[in-house]
Amino acid sequence: MKSSVKMAKLTSLFVILLSFFCISEAVFEDQVGKFDWRQQYVGKTLFAHFESNTQSSKKMFVATDKNIFASFNSRTGDLLWRHVDKTGPEGTIDILLLHGQDALMVVGDGRLLRSWDTNIGGLNWEVVLDTGSFQAACFVAIQDTVKLVAVLKKAAISLHYLSNGHQKWVENLPDSDAVQYQAVYSGGEEEVYVLGVVPNSHLTIIAYSLEDGEIIKQRSVEASWLSSVESSCVVVGQGVLMCVDPATLALYTLPIQAEETPEFSQILLQSLDLEVSPGFQPVLVSSQPHPARSPLSEFFLQLGPDHHVLLQLNADGYTIAPLRDFQPAFLVSFATTGKKTVAAVMTPKNETACAINLFSVDSGRRLLDTTVLFPLEPNGGKPHMLYVHAFLKKDDSVGYRVLVQTQDHALTFIQQPGRVVWTREEALADVVTMEMVDLPLTGTQAELEGEFGKKADGLFPMVLKRLSSQVTLLQAWLAHLWKLFYEARKPRSQVKNEVTIETLSRDEFNLQKMMVMVTASGKLFGIDSKSGSILWKHYLENVQPNAAFKLIVQRTTAHFPHPPQCTLLIKDKDTGLATLHVFNPIFGRKSHIALPALPRPILQSLLLPVIDQDYAKVLLLVDDQYKVTAFPSTKNVLQQLQEMASSIFFYLIRSEHGNLSGFRLRKDLSTERIWEVVLPTEVQKIVAVKGKRPNEHVHSQGRVMGDRSVLYKYLNPNLLAVVTESTDAHPERAFVGVFLVDGVTGRIIHEAVQRKARGPVHFVHSENWVVYEYWNTKSRRNEFSVLELFEGTELYNSTVFSSLDRPHLPQVLQQTYIFPSPITTMEATLTEKGITSRHLLVGLPSGAILSLPKMFLDPRRPEVVTEHSREENLIPYAPEMPIRTEWFINYNQTVARVKGIYTAPSGLESTCLVVAYGLDIYQTRVYPSKQFDVLKDDYDYVLISSVLFALFFATMISKRLAQVKLLNRAWR
Amino acid sequence: MWLHVRLSEVCLFLQAMFILACCFSDMESGPIATSGSVQPNGDRFKIEGRAIVPGVKTQDWISSARVTVEGEEYIGFLGTDGSFVVNDVPSGSYVVEVISPGYKFGAVRVDITSKGKMRARLVNFIKTSEVIRQPYPLQLRSSGPRTYLMKRETWGWTDFLMNPMVMMMVLPLLIIVLLPKVVNTNDPEMRKEMEQSMNMLNPNPELPDVSEFMTKLFSGSKSSSSKAIGGSKASGRPAVKRRWCQNITCTSGLRNYCNWSCHGNYNAIFKKSFFIRLYNCFLSRVFFPSSEIQVCK
Repeated sequence: MKSSVKMAKLTSLFVILLSFFCISEAVFEDQVGKFDWRQQYVGKTLFAHFESNTQSSKKMFVATDKNIFASFNSRTGDLLWRHVDKTGPEGTIDILLLHGQDALMVVGDGRLLRSWDTNIGGLNWEVVLDTGSFQAACFVAIQDTVKLVAVLKKAAISLHYLSNGHQKWVENLPDSDAVQYQAVYSGGEEEVYVLGVVPNSHLTIIAYSLEDGEIIKQRSVEASWLSSVESSCVVVGQGVLMCVDPATLALYTLPIQAEETPEFSQILLQSLDLEVSPGFQPVLVSSQPHPARSPLSEFFLQLGPDHHVLLQLNADGYTIAPLRDFQPAFLVSFATTGKKTVAAVMTPKNETACAINLFSVDSGRRLLDTTVLFPLEPNGGKPHMLYVHAFLKKDDSVGYRVLVQTQDHALTFIQQPGRVVWTREEALADVVTMEMVDLPLTGTQAELEGEFGKKADGLFPMVLKRLSSQVTLLQAWLAHLWKLFYEARKPRSQVKNEVTIETLSRDEFNLQKMMVMVTASGKLFGIDSKSGSILWKHYLENVQPNAAFKLIVQRTTAHFPHPPQCTLLIKDKDTGLATLHVFNPIFGRKSHIALPALPRPILQSLLLPVIDQDYAKVLLLVDDQYKVTAFPSTKNVLQQLQEMASSIFFYLIRSEHGNLSGFRLRKDLSTERIWEVVLPTEVQKIVAVKGKRPNEHVHSQGRVMGDRSVLYKYLNPNLLAVVTESTDAHPERAFVGVFLVDGVTGRIIHEAVQRKARGPVHFVHSENWVVYEYWNTKSRRNEFSVLELFEGTELYNSTVFSSLDRPHLPQVLQQTYIFPSPITTMEATLTEKGITSRHLLVGLPSGAILSLPKMFLDPRRPEVVTEHSREENLIPYAPEMPIRTEWFINYNQTVARVKGIYTAPSGLESTCLVVAYGLDIYQTRVYPSKQFDVLKDDYDYVLISSVLFALFFATMISKRLAQVKLLNRAWR
Repeated sequence: MWLHVRLSEVCLFLQAMFILACCFSDMESGPIATSGSVQPNGDRFKIEGRAIVPGVKTQDWISSARVTVEGEEYIGFLGTDGSFVVNDVPSGSYVVEVISPGYKFGAVRVDITSKGKMRARLVNFIKTSEVIRQPYPLQLRSSGPRTYLMKRETWGWTDFLMNPMVMMMVLPLLIIVLLPKVVNTNDPEMRKEMEQSMNMLNPNPELPDVSEFMTKLFSGSKSSSSKAIGGSKASGRPAVKRRWCQNITCTSGLRNYCNWSCHGNYNAIFKKSFFIRLYNCFLSRVFFPSSEIQVCK
């Protein structure tokens, strides 16, 4: 008791102290939205519904592959609300059904059934379903009102009330081992039908009574051609099952309810004058506008990638009449409003646009004045899905809005007459990697810079040149002033600061940069870091879904007139084969440079500081035979490589073998192995390896201690931090290991083992320290541990660091702290020269990004405060790390599922640019040591100038008074 | 400065008291709740509860909030009435939190036995086995809106006038003008008497002081200013007098004053002025009660 009070007291003391001297961390009220922006995304849409079929309705609902259920404002494309479920299969949304105000959702392969109140975005109810994988679900109506939802699982069917989720009944499906039940159908009758198939044998139809779940009818129909109900059958008309068989090229019909027809009736496609494109699996599309009524008798049959036919099932139930042939047509969709149902068809118009038209379903006639145009991006994906929101206008004609989803996951909302209301680039919900590239200088700036580079050609011409460039600068300034003046007169709403690629140029402090973002779908984006507007996008079509990406900046904007150059290494995870995409990061255009052939799987890539004659850094790619390919590989580069070969080292990790090995380049671009570290895979596996960031600068070589001696940092640029986790997951025996390995010699500098700990381990390796976070299985809490390496009070070789000549191992200090929250990612701030103190940016599951001063993670924090530690400004040790909401750099702009934090230095030493990405993207600036190199935002110009003026006038007045006095004295 | 120091001391004391009180009151455990509801599917259980933000309608905050169990391991959503259920949780010990960007909620640790008995208790990461019972089903009440943003310090005339710097400038003026008219400084007896009283004013250097520690720490937080401003003046003066020069570790604003009073001009101009020194001493007692008084080198 006593000790806890003491502890609490200490902690509170600590907190109070913090509140005083860490005040600078927080964002000020007037800074909200000044340098920061957030964009919220949801991911690739799987299901989309519009609220209701009136013209004024604004809401739409989507469920996505990122396990998100969200509501948009369809007028602006902004999120109204969003619910982020668990990642992975447990949160997958299997189906989304909308009925009035309620949205029904089956989650996690039939694990849960949820009902949402779409109006306020809250949960109505949630019930746990019985085990078994989900197959299908539909609404069930009793006497024309929808009251129930039927959920079909692999071996059972259950009915739930819509109002409270209670189960009405659940029945096991007969013979569920042999029969694959795949569809459930209800057309407003007293029964609900379950359709199952024994592949290539027969179809089973079971009718359950709605009242008590009793099996009313059960029959099986011979269907040796049928393999899946789900993919090849739909229900049309008055409960007629319509199937298509690609082998016999025929349609099969079977009334579900009628018992008298024992088998399918066949209609050959040939008899309808229809032909399937070779190798194409025909697809049927039908529509059931209201669950209490039977589906439409009209349906679409897709015969080829861009060929659709609108067909009608005649009233007799087994003959089909073609209504209209759509060729070419990319996408088709049904939409119903009131009693009218229309079909929307997207047809290619020209190279830059597609046209969407409405057709009457009954007759197949085109409705007048319903054309809208969908613009096709030159480097975008093809249209993939069409969601139509149809409504009745005042004159009783059908109006519509349409949501088009393209292959690159972009959503475009188009309104009549052909206006794009908004576009959402949902690919950005899954950013894999990113870089920030400096913007180019403007023409005048570049000219000014160029002046200094050129060789002197006489004094006079140089003076002239100088003067002329000064004049151009003056001109530019005057033009800027004029523009400011001109815009100040206009009302604010009219002033648009549109950022375009043409107007982009570097600002004074290099605070505005180009963010190049690579997404998992293979779409690349160039985003202006100041405004967040997307300046260019480029969709790489042939990227595998499981590809790994690495983005490399080979040439920055500093080498005018050479354009900047980025290289994206795309590696197929299965085969290991890699391709390169070289592009200009400012404009997004693909560069036409000869790419090296990469026939072998790539193991490792490294960017050398060596540059070719065009100022591009050299990229080395190591294949599985340890052969090295250089890119670019001009003669100049190869010659340089030969000279430098003996000092180029690299490492490879084979985590499946627990193998970490180091190689050296030979003159002929082959490699030799120099060292190898094996961590036995039976005990532990390597989970991550991190070196230091190449663009990191360390300003001070050591730390001045209380007694004025210097503790020198161990700054080994070749140091690798290797994190391992034990294979034994038992809480008592699990451990996390951290190895610090020299990448050149393979020497293990330090080894730390955290017992009773497990991952996921997040860590940062920078300067002379490694900070890692793990889960303590014994105390069930997250802990931060910091390792700091020092050479001691004397430097071995202060001029240059060589891994090969460091006889003494560094002194390692370590301290551990409790962190009261789990974390999702961690990164350290980075500044131009490394003078500014460092902060750790920690992404929390709540979406907050905590800026934690590195000062708190200092292994020299003393338990007992002494004179020396006070002198050094060491904070006394406290076991628990504080989390204060004022330290959240993104205040209430939470970033859901933070996956990575990217930090980049700006031109100001005090300022570090931060981009946090995950589901959302958030960009801001942080000032770890406050803004010491520019005037602060709240600098009081008025006070200063008024004091100056007051002093000035006071001097004037006193001067005058003195004169008068002198004069008076002279008179005396 | 002094105000801050004293305030924080008071705060500290209050806080310590408060914590003591908390600990005592929590010794009696809350209502015992063991009514865990066992789910049909194996040994998976559900965590139930209700979150309330006093004074705010549920529809205004639930759409942006969610319930997380042990990070994002299990997630629950809030119902339209603020209630929540997290389904499918195996037995174990979990930290349950309601996460809302607008409102702050406390975290609760929920223990579920393998038989499905539930217990809620306060989260204590330091003493992990400590049990301070909380009601179950959980009742999570928000303690108010989160504060992310700082208010800018606004500038006002009163702030300016009450600023120690300004007072330091105004008061000496008054003293210079007024005191010589009251006391006859040329009287040697008087002078002696005053010097004696000055000695009494001087603090005992052995006395430990919390505020001194604070001063050091504050000055420490400024990475650049840990330099001690030493009075480097006056080798030819009597020891007693040297003491006016104080070796104070100063923070930004105060440093000017120290510089001014210890080095150079000030003393040079008013070398003879005993009252200035007297006033200095007085000021130093008021504004820097803690500062060590050292003999200038």
